[in-house]
Amino acid sequence: MTDAKKSEVLQGTLDLMILKTLHALGPQHGFGIARRIEQVSRDVLHLNEGTVYTSLLRLLQQKWIAAEWGTSDNNRKAKFYSITARGEKQLALETENWERISGVVGRVLQLEEER
Amino acid sequence: MTNVRISRLRAFAARVRRLFATRKRDSDFDDEMQAHLQLLMDRFVAIGMSPEDAAAAARRQFGNTTLLQEDRRELRTLVSVEDIVRDLRYALRSLGRSRAFTAVAIATLGLGIGASTAIFSVIDNVLLEPFPYKDAGRMVFPRIHDTARAEEGERQGYTSNEFLEFASQNHVFDAVIGSSDDLVLYKNGEGVEQLYGADVTPGAFEFFGMPALYGRVMQPADYQPGAPPVFVMRHKTWMARFNGDPGVLNKIFVLNGAARMLIGIMPPRFGWFDADVYIPETPVPGPSTGFAGLPARWFLLGRLKPGVSKAQAAADANVIANHLAKINPQNFPAHFQVLIKTVGDTVVAQLEPTLYTVLAAVGLLLLIACGNVANLMLARATSREKEFALRAVLGAGRARLVRLLLVESLVLAISGAALGVLLAWGGLKSIVAAMPQDMIPAESVIALNAPVLAFTFVVSILTTLIFGLAPALQAARRDLNDPLRDSGKAVLGGFRTGRMRDTIVVMEVAVSLTLLIGAGLLMRSFVALREVHLGLQADHVFQTLLPLPADRYKTAAQVSGFFQPLLARVKAIPGVLDATESSALLPSGGGDSKIEISGKSHDNEWHAMLQNISEGYFRVLRIPFKAGRAFTETEIHDARKLAVVNETFVSSYLRGEDPFGRRVYLAGLETLADPVREPWFEIVGVVADVTNNGLQGAVQPQVWVPYTVIGSEVQALLVRSQQTPMALMNDVRQAVWATDPGVALAFPNALEDRISQQLYAGPRFGFLLMTIFGCLGLVLVTIGVYSVLAYATARKTHEIGIRMALGAERADVLRSVIKAGLRLVTSGVAIGLIVSLLLGRAIQAELAHDVKPYDPLTLAGTTSLLIATGALACWIPARRAARVDPMVALRYE
Repeated sequence: MTDAKKSEVLQGTLDLMILKTLHALGPQHGFGIARRIEQVSRDVLHLNEGTVYTSLLRLLQQKWIAAEWGTSDNNRKAKFYSITARGEKQLALETENWERISGVVGRVLQLEEER
Repeated sequence: MTNVRISRLRAFAARVRRLFATRKRDSDFDDEMQAHLQLLMDRFVAIGMSPEDAAAAARRQFGNTTLLQEDRRELRTLVSVEDIVRDLRYALRSLGRSRAFTAVAIATLGLGIGASTAIFSVIDNVLLEPFPYKDAGRMVFPRIHDTARAEEGERQGYTSNEFLEFASQNHVFDAVIGSSDDLVLYKNGEGVEQLYGADVTPGAFEFFGMPALYGRVMQPADYQPGAPPVFVMRHKTWMARFNGDPGVLNKIFVLNGAARMLIGIMPPRFGWFDADVYIPETPVPGPSTGFAGLPARWFLLGRLKPGVSKAQAAADANVIANHLAKINPQNFPAHFQVLIKTVGDTVVAQLEPTLYTVLAAVGLLLLIACGNVANLMLARATSREKEFALRAVLGAGRARLVRLLLVESLVLAISGAALGVLLAWGGLKSIVAAMPQDMIPAESVIALNAPVLAFTFVVSILTTLIFGLAPALQAARRDLNDPLRDSGKAVLGGFRTGRMRDTIVVMEVAVSLTLLIGAGLLMRSFVALREVHLGLQADHVFQTLLPLPADRYKTAAQVSGFFQPLLARVKAIPGVLDATESSALLPSGGGDSKIEISGKSHDNEWHAMLQNISEGYFRVLRIPFKAGRAFTETEIHDARKLAVVNETFVSSYLRGEDPFGRRVYLAGLETLADPVREPWFEIVGVVADVTNNGLQGAVQPQVWVPYTVIGSEVQALLVRSQQTPMALMNDVRQAVWATDPGVALAFPNALEDRISQQLYAGPRFGFLLMTIFGCLGLVLVTIGVYSVLAYATARKTHEIGIRMALGAERADVLRSVIKAGLRLVTSGVAIGLIVSLLLGRAIQAELAHDVKPYDPLTLAGTTSLLIATGALACWIPARRAARVDPMVALRYE
């Protein structure tokens, strides 16, 4: 199975990915968010799609996103999530954080190779 | 990282909001998940999977839904029901394991909550909110205060003219009404019975703003001339005399010889003037007669206009009173001032200091109880340090530990509160029973007070929680290895908590001593009161007022025409030793009168109390003569103008002079409805001083004159008997009705009962409550000292074992433990003594004159009682320590 090669989603990064998705695509329902992450990760990440909803709830509690009932493309009732102003601020903060950390981690790993 | 903290707060807020949300959200979530799964399935079907495989694949991709639901619930809720049940079961088990601790903690909490709730309830109902009337806080009355006198007094009753002047000329009252005593005789079968009535002026019922329970209250039309005569009855009277029979409504009663219709029954809490019946009466200018043929006196009640202060009202009333004093100077003291009092002042003035002392006492008791609980919780916490460290090491979060302890503390607090409510409920019943009835407003209903209960409950819960949570906080703060490594036997608890427990015990002992000293002083004071020399023998005396119908008894001759045959009849009753007429009942010496003495001149006004009597008075009360003689029967019969005075009279006005042959001028007799002309009375006797100004007041100069001289006065009958005084009542009533069937006994009682019930009741009440609280405090402190020492010794078993192995004697161990305990007790006693001496001033007002707040006997007694109890509390753990077997103690590792 190809699944064996897929990485688990790092704890805490799912929130960031969802925020970024909502920032980039505007209001989305849970299924749409899962599809987008699947598409972007190009089958590298293994995502239990249900955890998207746990993450959404966490983000809702922080008021970084808002939820509203609406109708999906195929005329089903669905809950649409959108990023809030507070969420935008958090996204900027987290993105910067992530870049800094991943930069540091990358540099450390390179050091290992140079030895 | 403030960010993290803010995020946590937001998450917490969301969870709290969730508590109040509906169940709907969960089903929404299910829908959302189902939709997602359906979409996934559709995709798989689209690429050619069979529906079954597609469903399986969708579920795989989506993940475990049950797990998700749980995650979600975890995120959304504060505590799950299962967790609470688990914690509760654990708490009960853990409390059940240490039964002694649990019992003591619950009992302590219960006592604290119960006692304070009961007392706070009484105070709230009696002192703070006794009256159910509209705007009761603004109801005030003016009182004339003779500035030459130290204590307040003089009068608060006004003539009709004065009343009308106040009502029309003031600028400070919304409304003014008057109430006047009226002894009402109503015909009942063979004779008459007496009711205490109040004549009330127009607008009185509108003033109180209370509608009738049945029927109606008085309306303006009832005051019109020629209106059918009506009256209103109080609920209590209706229940007592007519068994609450609604049939009496709209019936005609013969009151004081006139037919009146009962138009309304008031609700239970209406008790203005403590009257049985209310009769409409419009004050008219000019002299009028009221109670027992005396000039009518209106008690004036005004409702302050909104925003008007008592001081402004007093200024306004002073202007009016000064104007009145210019017209009728004889009705006013030479120098006076009008005081404005609230209605509450009339009834609670006597009881107020007692209740506030008790309030302070109960506050102290609550403090001791909380101290005890704190101590118990701390001791328990220290002994569980290891358990909690272990839990923390095994991965229990701080929140989890706090929750565990929270539940445990809450179980304790709620059980304590439940016991407290029971105790408060029972305590309130006994307090109400013990309360001096005459001193609480008739309107006040003493019931358990919910806000008060909530307050004490919260205080107790907070104490339990704060000190109960200590170990959890400590477990989070500390290095987890510390308590685990510590064998827990060598050191005396955590050093910090050890000192804290000591401080609490010292505080408890100090507070308890303060309580005990208070109780001791009140006890001494009560004993001193019992020993007050009344100057007479109060036992075996029956007394009753005999209000004579004013229409038939106007003159002195008419009054003696009733009393002479009555006294003869009463003296003929078997068992009666003697009987007499009197115009005053003890401990009052009658009304006040200005006086002059022949051959004496003076600058200031001279006053004396004036009482009229028949010849048997001094014999009935066994009052000894210092000089001269009593009136003879003939002198009484002939209405001779003679006087007997008391020793204070002689020492005040005739010091070192021969009183005999002097004549006293009694100005008060000239202003009666049936005035006495030329009221000069020759002194024939001097008696020993008799209490005549209240139990504790200094004896005033007093003059006794023959009752046959004076027509308009209060009349009472005093009888000395061989048997129980109250056994005479029926015979006396028959004698009265045989003399005049239109006369009723009013307020009959035994003199001794009256003195003990009504005059000692306040002090006895205070002393009783203080003693109960003092004892409770002592018990709690004993428990406190014992639990701290027992705990400390238990922790030191190991150390004691080593010492004994190294050669320490049992006696040494015993001594060291007792010494440690007594050091705490004596420090507490020292602080308590200082506090008591400082507080002494506060309780001074409560004490009898010759008991000082630093009464050495009381201080010594209570201090030794406390030290002895403390020593006993130390003795038991010390004995246990001394019995430690070194081998066992050392092996027990």
